[in-house]
Amino acid sequence: MLHMKNLSKVYRTHMIETHALRGFDIHVKQGEFVTVTGPSGSGKTTFLNIAGLLEEFNGGDYLLDGVNVKGLDDNARSRLRNEKLGFIFQGFNLIPDLNLFDNVDVPLRYRGFGTAERRTRIEQALSQVGLASRMRHYPAELSGGQQQRVAIARALAGSPKLLLADEPTGNLDTQMARGVMELLEEINAAGTTILMVTHDPELAVRAQRNVHIIDGQVSDLVRKMPTLFAAGATV
Amino acid sequence: MLRYYFMLGLRNLRRNPVLTGLMVLTLTVGVAASISTLTILHMMSGNPIPDKSSRLFVPLVDNGPLDGYIPGQLPHDSQLSYRDASNFLQGGPGVRRTAVVGVTGAIEQSRADLGTVEADGLATTSDYFPMFDVPFLRGAAWAPAQDKSTANVVVLSRRMSEKIFGAQDPVGKHIRLFNNDFEVVGVLGNWNPMPRYTHLINGNGGNFAGQDDIFIPFQTAIRLHTGTSGSMTCNGPSAPGYQGFLDSECTWIQFWFEMKSAVERSTLQDYLDSYTREQRKFSRFARQNINHLYDVMEWMDHLHVVSDDGRVSTWLAFGFLMLCLVNTIGLLLAKFSVRAGEVGVRRALGASRAEIFKQFLTEAAVVGLAGGLLGLLLSTGALWLLARQSERYAALAHMDWSMLLLTFALAVLSSIVAGLLPTWRACQVTPALQLKSQ
Repeated sequence: MLHMKNLSKVYRTHMIETHALRGFDIHVKQGEFVTVTGPSGSGKTTFLNIAGLLEEFNGGDYLLDGVNVKGLDDNARSRLRNEKLGFIFQGFNLIPDLNLFDNVDVPLRYRGFGTAERRTRIEQALSQVGLASRMRHYPAELSGGQQQRVAIARALAGSPKLLLADEPTGNLDTQMARGVMELLEEINAAGTTILMVTHDPELAVRAQRNVHIIDGQVSDLVRKMPTLFAAGATV
Repeated sequence: MLRYYFMLGLRNLRRNPVLTGLMVLTLTVGVAASISTLTILHMMSGNPIPDKSSRLFVPLVDNGPLDGYIPGQLPHDSQLSYRDASNFLQGGPGVRRTAVVGVTGAIEQSRADLGTVEADGLATTSDYFPMFDVPFLRGAAWAPAQDKSTANVVVLSRRMSEKIFGAQDPVGKHIRLFNNDFEVVGVLGNWNPMPRYTHLINGNGGNFAGQDDIFIPFQTAIRLHTGTSGSMTCNGPSAPGYQGFLDSECTWIQFWFEMKSAVERSTLQDYLDSYTREQRKFSRFARQNINHLYDVMEWMDHLHVVSDDGRVSTWLAFGFLMLCLVNTIGLLLAKFSVRAGEVGVRRALGASRAEIFKQFLTEAAVVGLAGGLLGLLLSTGALWLLARQSERYAALAHMDWSMLLLTFALAVLSSIVAGLLPTWRACQVTPALQLKSQ
């Protein structure tokens, strides 16, 4: 599903060069639920942004569902992002002026679906997250957990192959976080591949596989020791 | 997608209502100022007879004295002498020819207690009416034979007919004019072109005011010594008496040729050149100046129908619109800059830079459309106020369909131009950065 080989990303200013990722290798299979952990500044977010085609990389190769994304222009990257990926952000990132229906509608508009298909998909996605009855409400009228559910519905509506989640429970209390996590597990069980960045070790061990990043590289040691998290150790 | 973006644009008008209101108001004022002045300029300089304007010609031959003449200068006057007008009428080329002289007379009404009615009008020929596509409500123009026989016939304007005869058909009836009985042969439909291009040099209102209410044959006016209500330029001596005046080099008659097509202009030029050469044998046209021909638009330009002030006002108004645009750019930058988060989200969800560009530019156009609607109201109000200033402005300050469409086009185009920089800036948003900072 996602294959990165020897990937590198360098941020340059006129003063310094920062190597956010170097020699970065990762392979995520179709249907996997993979969590990504690592200390602040380790390159987790850079990795997720590159995986989500929101940032370019400097070297190496990246294949997304068999498509080599290197050298693709903005239009092609946008189309690929729209068709294959779904995003869930820590801050929900709903558009405040649009109601839930119209928020979920946004990616479907760019896909070019007709009115009837869009309506069906929006209703299905909102039903899946338990908010079908509130589709005319605005984000500000919902709790944080509900807003994240809408964001998940928006990500699911286009039937993406890969769901990228960046600290999806970071802004939620424990109960709401648990609900969102259960929802993601259901989605994964239905066949969608999920790649989730998290700081929370408890959430990390709930995935099938955890990838730990340190200094812009995948750390083999931690990747092979999921039980360390299960025992409640901190990184 | 454009429909979607248009709907988003409409919805976003409500977002930041103060900022949106300021933008719409800025555009509205700029557009209204430009359109109001442009409407006046458009009405002043519009082609009054587009189908024929390129084949209707005014001839100018320079019969001025040699004293003070600088070779190459324009003819000393923009009218013709009776001798030349009369010769052109008799032997000139073209489909139609007509002389035009302003006359003013008092119409004596049938009942003495009703008094007399002062009337301005033209002494012209029967060709005048078909030449300028003059519509008739009743009757028709007099016959060409009546030009020659100097018949006492008159055509009335609709308003003069209604003033004297009320709702009655006056054709065949007689009125008393210039101490003679005139038979009414026709009544014009609604016809009062602005500018009054057929008779721009007149003594009754100028280019944009006044109306001709009576039309009599040119030769009848000569026979009755009606004189002219317009200007007259006399250089050099003339023999005594009316015949002496007619034979003099005094210029007081405007003249028009109608040619079959615009390409026959050269035929007419050849005729004029040949005519002046011939006349020099009689010691005329001492200046040896070149002969000029003007079609309708050239003639209006030659006589400065559109004043320089009018042009300057329009330029100033458009300068003001530019100023409004710069302000709108600033306001749009402010409005779009707070939307960086939304741009980031839309980019993450599959919008390309091109789609973001279309969305934000459509939004700018929607602001322009709102500005256009308000601008139209404000322009109409401004024109109404202008029309109340003078009869001249009243004749000009009307918004036609072309100006109405131009108002919208100008407003939308202005807002799109103003939106280019803010939209481009919006497209440069780095989605990853925005999504993390939300």
